[in-house]
Amino acid sequence: MRLRRLFIAVLLVAGAAVTGFALTIPKVNFTDTRLKNGLRVIISPDRAAPVVSVSVAYNVGSRNERKGRTGFAHLFEHLMFKGSANVADGEFAGLIENNGGNHNGQTDKDHTIYFEQVPSNQLDMVLFLEADRMRSPAITQANVDNQREAVKEERRLRVDNQPYGRTSELLAELAFENFANEHSIIGSMADLDAASLEDFAAFFKTYYAPNNAVLALSGDVDEKVALEKIRKYFEGIPSGPPAPPLDTAEPPQKEERRSAVQDPLARLTLVDTAYQVPGGLHPDMDALSALASVLGAGRSSRLYDNLVRQQQSAVQVYAGVQQSKGPGLFYLEAMVAPGRDPAAVEKAIYAEVEKIQKGPIQEWELDKARNAARRSLVGNLRSSLQRAILLSRYAVFFNDPGVINTRYERIASLKLDDLQRVARQYIVPTNRTVVITTPAPKPAVPDGGGAK
Amino acid sequence: VTPRAIGLCALFCSLATISLLGQAPKFMGKAPVSKELIRIKLPRAQEVQLSNGAYLMVLEDHRVPSVQFEILMIGAGGYYDPPDLPGLADTTASLMDEGTSSKSSEQIAQALDTMAANVSVSANEGSQIATVTGSALTDQLDPVLALAADILLNPTFPEKELGLFRGRARAALEEQRSDPDFLRQERFGKVIYGTHPASSVGLTRESLAKLRREDLAAFHKANYVPDHAIIGVSGDITLAEARTKFEAALKGWAKSGKPRPGVVDPPAAGPARVSLVNRPGSVQTGLQVGEQAIDRLHPDYDAVQVMNNILGGSNGRLFRELRESKGYTYGVYSTVRALRYRGDWRAAMDVRTDVTEPALRDLLAELAKMRDQLVPADEFADAQRALTASFALSLENPAELLNLYVIRQLYNYPADYWDRYTQRIMAVTPAQVQAVARKYLDPARLQIVAVGDASKIEEGLRKFGTVDVFDDEGKALQPAP
Repeated sequence: MRLRRLFIAVLLVAGAAVTGFALTIPKVNFTDTRLKNGLRVIISPDRAAPVVSVSVAYNVGSRNERKGRTGFAHLFEHLMFKGSANVADGEFAGLIENNGGNHNGQTDKDHTIYFEQVPSNQLDMVLFLEADRMRSPAITQANVDNQREAVKEERRLRVDNQPYGRTSELLAELAFENFANEHSIIGSMADLDAASLEDFAAFFKTYYAPNNAVLALSGDVDEKVALEKIRKYFEGIPSGPPAPPLDTAEPPQKEERRSAVQDPLARLTLVDTAYQVPGGLHPDMDALSALASVLGAGRSSRLYDNLVRQQQSAVQVYAGVQQSKGPGLFYLEAMVAPGRDPAAVEKAIYAEVEKIQKGPIQEWELDKARNAARRSLVGNLRSSLQRAILLSRYAVFFNDPGVINTRYERIASLKLDDLQRVARQYIVPTNRTVVITTPAPKPAVPDGGGAK
Repeated sequence: VTPRAIGLCALFCSLATISLLGQAPKFMGKAPVSKELIRIKLPRAQEVQLSNGAYLMVLEDHRVPSVQFEILMIGAGGYYDPPDLPGLADTTASLMDEGTSSKSSEQIAQALDTMAANVSVSANEGSQIATVTGSALTDQLDPVLALAADILLNPTFPEKELGLFRGRARAALEEQRSDPDFLRQERFGKVIYGTHPASSVGLTRESLAKLRREDLAAFHKANYVPDHAIIGVSGDITLAEARTKFEAALKGWAKSGKPRPGVVDPPAAGPARVSLVNRPGSVQTGLQVGEQAIDRLHPDYDAVQVMNNILGGSNGRLFRELRESKGYTYGVYSTVRALRYRGDWRAAMDVRTDVTEPALRDLLAELAKMRDQLVPADEFADAQRALTASFALSLENPAELLNLYVIRQLYNYPADYWDRYTQRIMAVTPAQVQAVARKYLDPARLQIVAVGDASKIEEGLRKFGTVDVFDDEGKALQPAP
């Protein structure tokens, strides 16, 4: 019996501590090369298992979409699986899966990544497949029409047919004013319908050039041999003009923004609050992620202990901060217990923030974030796929794949004062957006069967 | 954010890749595929029976300074819920870390969260097994293991914590009825398994009201016993170290002396029917079709795995036809649920409301094709290769590899069960796959469950058989004929 996890779309940034532990954790080793066409190549060998993982990250996400074309970056990602000049429709997935590998793609605000994990004797195959679609994806009307339907089903599945589906979209739309930041990744049905073949061709030329991408390779490879193979498959792909600069600047928020949703699919009230944070490699992001841990990580967290255990006014709580290249959001959320007052729950969330702003934080509360970061650092060492994904992602997000190693030390050096300072600076009413989602009355059920 | 569940494919789609981009040069011809299957030697788990009867299995991997462990308690899973207390096993597991004879709920939470230790106890519905899992960096293994052992051996189920749990669980019981997938699984369990424990979805309002702390304590005392336990440990540790540490941490854990509890097969399900759960306002229909199939030890098991991969694997026929060709759904997959008792085969998808009928018809057509036609040799070989080549990937993850040995131990398979896996899968023939498709995709027994807006889909569903309609509380809206 578990309640659903609050919210989608939030990657909790964790940090690390070096002090006080006997254990030395090895670093992730990698080389960082640029091919003649501008493709950035990161190679991280690890010969322990006969496995290789490849992640290709393009420096484009929903933030690059223009008005009237929301959902475009994600729809384009789907199209990248529909074949290319030398790969038939369906062949990509078939070759990967039938040779014992797995693969996927992912689109977010700042980047679009494609990744595969295969037995190491299939390295050439994977490089060929990724290079062919970087050079010549099958952008055809039939493929666009077909994947438009799949993506619309994805929107129905994740948003329109789920309780609280609309809430997270509304929260971002209110919290941000810059179009680049405020619209959802999945996009609107109308915009998905409007996307034309010409749009796709232009988007490809602008954003899928090798000089706008990073390829990370990790696992059972000899670094020199791997680089030679990558050159062979990728270096001939012509580079493109630099992508246009993207303005993600947000005008300063001066007062609280607030809205309410009536959700016919929901049964409990959800209180969502979000605060604008700078994002990227801004030095305050580490302290904000540790602050989220103090407020929301586990049963020992402030929100759980006070709202769920002591007051029993909420049945589930969440705290987290978005990790992204541009401005992000710091979320504090609670699902209201049946029969309890949402306004009181909202006040109780703010009271916990105030306690941190004014009162002491315990050292063990910061240790939670430190240990979580240590743990994730070790996890990155074990999985070649995780390593490839993070190296390519950090190269796109921060222009620094080395963040995979340095985040650990940065969180280790945090002080309790840092958490208080960022709480006072960012988690304040004028920087806040609030959305309250309440269950809408259910439509009448025929036969009067809907006993409640 | 918005991760796609899986990649895409469509073997039967157009090969034309007319590009708007002009040049699109042919550059290498065909993708270079290695025909070799990497010959891997699976590292062996080391195994020993502890003096208290628990069976310890260790897979060493010193690449990374961390240790994962799981303690499987056979007999403590939801399968063993008393008929009048569904959810007892799950509730017991959920409350074990909410207070022990020496620590309060808050103290346990603080200690575990501080170390980011991820210790948890779970007991799934329909499963024989409850599991205590944990992981730690090597330098924190001792305190993490001490806490896990305290939770396992000395839970006190404080009245106050049970009261708090009741409040949260009441909300969860309410909230899960807004989840279309929950409604689908609830109805599917009932039509496939009747009142057999495999049909349970856990706590109900009635059982929650009835549960007492004595029930939890008694269930724990009777079922969390070492002679029914398998302890799996993987990572930066040796067998000798694991033995010393686990024997010390679990000191005083007394044998029950009782045999492991067994299971019974579910009674045969009724004839094919359509069950419709009305969810007014639903913009999609959640569909699931299936029927009872095999247990894990059934001689058809390997052939059913190959059949299922061809039909509903991540790049199977259902995906290629219903998503890639027709665009009806974001994802469609099938699974085999094979445990000690006879389980089921099922396929599931969510489709937009107005294509409910054609999508279901196409799905059923794919089942018919599996029954009526031999799988072509190339497609068959692809499935065999997909099932066997992926072994190499598990070598990266010792916990995943150890799990294979735990399965071997749970089902009393021979020691070389996994060494011979590739050979067994390669020996399956297209004729065998067709034979199991005829047995387990039998239209006379196939149950169809749909969760969606009845006012829009009921009429279309009537074309597939007799329709029973239920509301989102699980109540029949009209008497079954």
